Order: sequence, then C-alpha cells, then structure tokens
Amino acid sequence: MITIGSYLALSGMIFSIGLVGVMTSRNVLKVLLSLELLLAASNLSFVAFSKFNGDYAGQLIVFFVILVAAAEVAIGLAIIVLMYRRLSTIQADELRTMKW
Amino acid sequence: MSPFFFYLFAAILIFASLCVVMARNPLYNVLALVVAIFSLSCLFVVLEAFFVGMILLLVYAGAVLVFFLFVVMCLNLNAVALKETQQTRFRWLGAMVGLMFLCLIFLAAKSFIKAQTMEASSVRGTIETIGRILFTDYLLPFELTSLLLLIAIFGIVSLAQGALSTGKDIKNS
Repeated sequence: MITIGSYLALSGMIFSIGLVGVMTSRNVLKVLLSLELLLAASNLSFVAFSKFNGDYAGQLIVFFVILVAAAEVAIGLAIIVLMYRRLSTIQADELRTMKW
Repeated sequence: MSPFFFYLFAAILIFASLCVVMARNPLYNVLALVVAIFSLSCLFVVLEAFFVGMILLLVYAGAVLVFFLFVVMCLNLNAVALKETQQTRFRWLGAMVGLMFLCLIFLAAKSFIKAQTMEASSVRGTIETIGRILFTDYLLPFELTSLLLLIAIFGIVSLAQGALSTGKDIKNS
C-alpha cells in the first residue's frame, strides 16, 4: 500500500541525489540543475502532504515555488553566460573575486 | 491510487535524477532533468494534483529546461573546458554526506509509515478548486509573485546591458 511514507522516502532520495550533485560538481550549470532537483523533491513532499492531510495549501505553495524557480533559473543562467564570456570557463572554482 | 504507477514513475524519477548528477555531457544532464520533471508531474497526477502537475510540465519542461538547453548550446563548451570541470577530489565525501542525509530522511519518513493514520483524502487539485483559493485567500502572494517576475526581468536586462557595454570596451581596447 502506498502511504505518505513512501512519497516522503522517494522525495528524500531525490533530495539526497540533488544534494550530492550540488556538493560534488564544479560545473556551474550542473550545480544549477541539481538545485532544480532539490526544488522538485521538496515539491513532491508538499503535494504528498497536501493529498494526505486534505489541505490545498501544499499545492499552492508548489505553484509559487515553480514561479520563483523560473525567475531564479533565468537570473542564474544570465550570470553563467556572463561568467563564460568573462572567464571563458564555467568552473565554480574560478569565481574567486567578489568584483571583477 | 494505484501502486503500479507510483513504482513505475518513482523508478524513472530516481534513474533520471541519477543521470542528472552522473552524466558528463551537460546536454545529457539537461535532457535527464526533462525526463525527471516529466515523471514528477506524472506522480502529481497520480496524487490527483492535476493543475500543479500540468503547470510543472508546461513551465518547467516546456520553458525552463528548454532555456537551459538553449544556454548549453549557446555556450559551445569544448572538450577541454568540460574536462576541467570533472570533479575527483570531494566525490567520496559528498557521497557520504548524501548517504547520511538519506538515512536521516528515512528515519523521519519511517515514523509516518508507522503512524498509518494518514489515509488518502478526497483532495483533487483541479483548476477550479486551486483557482478559487488562489484568487481569494492567496491573492496578495499571487500579485507579489508578478512583482518578483518583473524584478527578475529588470535584473536580466541590466545584466545583459553590462555584458554589451563590456563587449564594446573589449572591442575598443
């Protein structure tokens, strides 16, 4: 039987995979993609709680998270493109200065 | 709720998110994330959150990830630049921290499995119900989100302008 525990376990798995991706990759694009995985995992747990608690607030929070993530991705990708133009690399280690 | 669809889409989701983290080619990372988001929205439909699932499919897989793909192709990364980004040093440390986090999450989820009180309710996230709540109780956050998107547009335009002006400087010097 599928209870909320199975959804939470799945969400936890996806979150840990994304966490490993954020911590171990030096490619800035990959870090941004792994952040999307983290958001997706938390979205899944929100919807599962919404279903099993009988409250619509969880689904509304997911809606807002999707909108905010779209804005975040747009800004992040613009910064990555700028970084590639300046440094001609997308390695996170190369970002050493606060102002260039 | 059918267990078969849950296990099917859960397996696809886990495999695709492993591909997002493991694959070397950035193009494959983005395409794996498209598959992951697709199976996630299928899971939302299994949970009867239809509106959020469709929004996830349209906004994420349709717009955001295509934007990702566009940027990956626009950057035109060569093999040397990609080889530099391959991580070797902290991989084991990261995997260990991830495993520890997974154990913590499982401990937390186990209490919910044991509780067994959480039965599926009759929540159906159709457009009508979600829209009714969105435009009554959550009207202020909804309008503030539009302001946030406007600020994001301003930020991107100012970043692009900075890029254009520096390009001119490089050309002049």
